[in-house]
Amino acid sequence: MIPLFEKAHRMTLTNTEQEILTYFETHLPSAIHTDLNRLSSELYTSNATIVRFCQKLGLRGFNEFKYQVRSELKELRSPAIASDDLISHTLALFKDNMDAIDQKKLEQIANLLTGDAPVYIYGSYLSSLAARYLQTILNTLDYPSILIEWQRLLNGLIYEITPGSVLLIITAHGDAIRYLPVFQRAKERNAVTILLTCEDTSPLIPYSTIWMCTNDKNEEYHHVDINPRIGIFTIIQLLIELVAEIHENNTKDGS
Amino acid sequence: MITLHLDDAVIKSLSANELNILKFVYEHGETILNMSIQEFSSQVSYSTSTVLRFCRKLGYSGFAEFKYMLRSQAKEKEKPSEPAGQQDFNISRYMDMLNFNMEGTSSLISEDQLMRTFRYFDSGCPIYIWAPGGITSILSNYFEKLLVSIGRQNVYLLESAKMATHILQHLNSNCLLILISATGTFEPTIRLGKLASMNHIPILTITPYTNNVVADLGTISFRFFTNQRENRGAEFTSRLPVFYVIHIIIRCYLQYKRQGGFHDTTV
Repeated sequence: MIPLFEKAHRMTLTNTEQEILTYFETHLPSAIHTDLNRLSSELYTSNATIVRFCQKLGLRGFNEFKYQVRSELKELRSPAIASDDLISHTLALFKDNMDAIDQKKLEQIANLLTGDAPVYIYGSYLSSLAARYLQTILNTLDYPSILIEWQRLLNGLIYEITPGSVLLIITAHGDAIRYLPVFQRAKERNAVTILLTCEDTSPLIPYSTIWMCTNDKNEEYHHVDINPRIGIFTIIQLLIELVAEIHENNTKDGS
Repeated sequence: MITLHLDDAVIKSLSANELNILKFVYEHGETILNMSIQEFSSQVSYSTSTVLRFCRKLGYSGFAEFKYMLRSQAKEKEKPSEPAGQQDFNISRYMDMLNFNMEGTSSLISEDQLMRTFRYFDSGCPIYIWAPGGITSILSNYFEKLLVSIGRQNVYLLESAKMATHILQHLNSNCLLILISATGTFEPTIRLGKLASMNHIPILTITPYTNNVVADLGTISFRFFTNQRENRGAEFTSRLPVFYVIHIIIRCYLQYKRQGGFHDTTV
């Protein structure tokens, strides 16, 4: 038996979760090619139940679960880890992040970014690149926005921010608490705050108007943040697609 | 949505006409499943023998096997349709497109390319990353920041064409130049690539899967899938696959370092 299934057997599982486990145990290796929708319809359960089962096992979603099963199966045969595995794992994480995206929130954010209110986009260090990417393309699509890369500037700005302004803050790093006063003050001044983070326990969430969380991992190398923020870049890319669609529709209407 | 497992050698072997066919396949994906070779060749405006040659270069016996591969992939990915909601946006389509681009991009990265790259990373030679301005500079910055963050010394960003020209003219071959291009046809990038190539400076390129001049100049060429777009002269082609390629290079390099795979060679 592969270690992941052994782990599952040691846990307390609900009847449905037991069924999912049994299904995988009896349908290997073909089961690792099943997709989430097909599996949930075969087991008469919901996608969310299966994802919760995967998360119970310490994984971030169904694609990572499949990846884990596949690599453990492979390891039974050969112990080496090749780059192919890392690439497949990265792709699996990318897809899990995509599956978990709340489309309604994306639409709301896209509408806010293309509305009449002033838009500020903030990010520092690697998040500033994500912020700059979004800001540059918004400008290309004729929706001007202001990029802020310095925390002190953000702190100062928030005292004067016009009510109704949109403030999109990207913060992947675990040190979110430093932005708490900004979010509190923004709320007092009735500014709209959009939070993109990868921590679902972020203390900023209760103060944000809309928040989205990705599955990026806060990794460090010699105490330097090396979280690649691919999940955040993915959300930004989807926002860009929506903004481009809004732009196209407006251009058509205007012509 | 389809994934074509093409490596750099295959892409390089394709002629301009065959690349146009590839682009057509990429853009029309599953709609070609029901076409005969005659219908397909009239759609792409190339002769059936060009289509056949294209299929063979991709490793299939002919058009039928090529279609068979596309069909089996389409079947594998078929999903039950979602209940139709009142949606103004077509988010699922965008998600499929991004998934498709990432799958394609992933399949183009080979261990051989990575290992050749790591030899340069390990050697400690100076790494120059060209930042041509605009959105692509954000990618150059991302690569630079990540390299520095994982402890690679001697990484320099070149942000002005004149300075870059000046530096490249006086360099010997013991360094690495990184060129990133969303089109592979940006003139200033090509100029720098040619200059480096004249001075025998190794070049790592990250460019689209299409045949392009920048990739041809590369000692190591990473490729990605994306859709070229612009808004009245200002382009906003998706750079997500490039962020992804850079992330994979860094992630694999960290893993490789953890395994103690140092070459200790000078380049």
